[in-house]
Amino acid sequence: MSKEKEIKKFSLKRELKLAPGYLILTLWVLFTFVLIGWVIAASFSTTREIFAGDALKFKTGLHFENYVKAWTSQNVSGIMGHSLVYATISCIALILVCAPAAYVLSRFEFIANKTIQTSLVSAMGVPMIMIVLPLFCLIARMNILNSISLNRITLLFLYIGINVPYTTIFLLAFFSNLSSAYEQAAAIDGCSPMKTFWLIMFPMAQPGIITVSIFNFINVWNEYFISLIFANSDKLRPIAVGLYSMINSMRYTGDWAGMFSAVTIVFLPTFVLYIFLSEKIIAGITGGGLKG
Amino acid sequence: MKKSKTMIICFLLPDLIFFVFVFLYPICRTILMSFFKISGVTDAISKWTFVGMGNFTKLFETSLFMTSLWNIFRIWLIGGFIVMALALLFAVILTSGIRFKSFYRAAIYMPNVVSAVALATMWLQYVYNSRFGLFKTIFTALHLKGLAAIQWTDNAHKFWALLIAYCFGMVGYHMLIFASGIERISEEYFEAATLDGANKVKQFWYVTLPLIKGVFKTNITMWSVTSVGFFLWSQLFSTVTADTQTITPMVYMYTQVFGAGNSVTEHNAGMGAAVGVILSICVVIIFAVTNKLLKDDDLEF
Repeated sequence: MSKEKEIKKFSLKRELKLAPGYLILTLWVLFTFVLIGWVIAASFSTTREIFAGDALKFKTGLHFENYVKAWTSQNVSGIMGHSLVYATISCIALILVCAPAAYVLSRFEFIANKTIQTSLVSAMGVPMIMIVLPLFCLIARMNILNSISLNRITLLFLYIGINVPYTTIFLLAFFSNLSSAYEQAAAIDGCSPMKTFWLIMFPMAQPGIITVSIFNFINVWNEYFISLIFANSDKLRPIAVGLYSMINSMRYTGDWAGMFSAVTIVFLPTFVLYIFLSEKIIAGITGGGLKG
Repeated sequence: MKKSKTMIICFLLPDLIFFVFVFLYPICRTILMSFFKISGVTDAISKWTFVGMGNFTKLFETSLFMTSLWNIFRIWLIGGFIVMALALLFAVILTSGIRFKSFYRAAIYMPNVVSAVALATMWLQYVYNSRFGLFKTIFTALHLKGLAAIQWTDNAHKFWALLIAYCFGMVGYHMLIFASGIERISEEYFEAATLDGANKVKQFWYVTLPLIKGVFKTNITMWSVTSVGFFLWSQLFSTVTADTQTITPMVYMYTQVFGAGNSVTEHNAGMGAAVGVILSICVVIIFAVTNKLLKDDDLEF
């Protein structure tokens, strides 16, 4: 932080020395912006203009109908709704499941404490491929894949499950940094430990809870592999898998403008979320959770 | 504080239930499955036939699996090298005291929050397009005719196209980890080095690099864990089932167990499980080796 304050005063010599650095970063960022900017522009264009290399000229005006078409005929509204439901419910459930566990692990000493923590950390490194086969077997044998509502609950259970280790470890680090003076004061006033957690410590952990929820939301929103295997019906498919089949079908029909508008619709929600929350997200990666 | 057994159990139980159901039980069963021949994933244990190490020896004799292993190794090694080099370079620039630091940082990390399906589609359908693609436009403008004429998505270039696009998205995350590591180094070290007459390059080699050894370890571990799960990009970049240019073990396992592709003659879920076990062993080996090579306990700061 102190470093940032020092450079407030403009010095040409200093800036010149940093010029190669500026150049490299600017080129990289420019590339990113052109990439995204062009795709958004193309989504308002027509397939013919895109192929003529005129996607940015808008000779025939802005074509909002690409979006209308993608939204209605390709059922984007449906898959976005599914993803929104999955992501929201998973986020809330993850906090309710992981926050108490993280608190207990950070505050109390008991025999299995270290073992549980190590297991959770190791689980973060387990490849998805190690867990899908038995889960598929279990779920298929219970005849869940034939019932939409049961399948939806199973999907939610899996989305929550795969994010439990990360969420718990992240919140554990956060709770460890909170002073225990508050709990001691509460104990003297006769407040039971459980009540102390929900009334005092849980609200105090709010910044950590918000950060980890942002990550969970993005993770569930972008989740692909689990959804590919366990969401068999159109009524269940979340956005990542839905977009994949949509892109394939649009590539065959040659509707490129429609394809780019579908891509834009899918990437906009997390992108907008990121514009507003980037500082919090970055602080969450570098500060909390995983230590270097 | 007084500990209460009921509270510990009540608070931990839901968390542990998820852990046992989604991680512990499936992992144990996958290891068990890898020693059996199982014609359908959903078969009961009574229908499994024990084959010992049969699945593993068979996998290593299957050329498609070996190709997939070779691909993931190249992605891990070459991609890892490119990503770590770029991430470290960007992190050094970011921490050198430039203006608009948070803007650059946020913009470079951005691809990480976007759905990978959307990002891969942007690369595949726009950047690599042979008619209106970004690479073609850039290279034509720079009068690099040879580069502009490359058909990025044909069989000869597909792997590299995939690797470039994937690395582009991954740089931001590792950059953040490096940058936070560099920022944790106390300013005093650099001041002392400057007083002793060390220039910026020397400071980087003799101060920064040794002090971020632990960060390297984190980055290599994270990179390896994500590489092992390489699936989506491969699936998006392949034009046919079991495309030898882009197939990875995860895709191989998917076609082996769930796929209807004609490339796999017999379905054997045990082989799929064996693929998982092999990949996990790779991760453990990488983790152990990096831990051995980059011991950071001899440095305290």
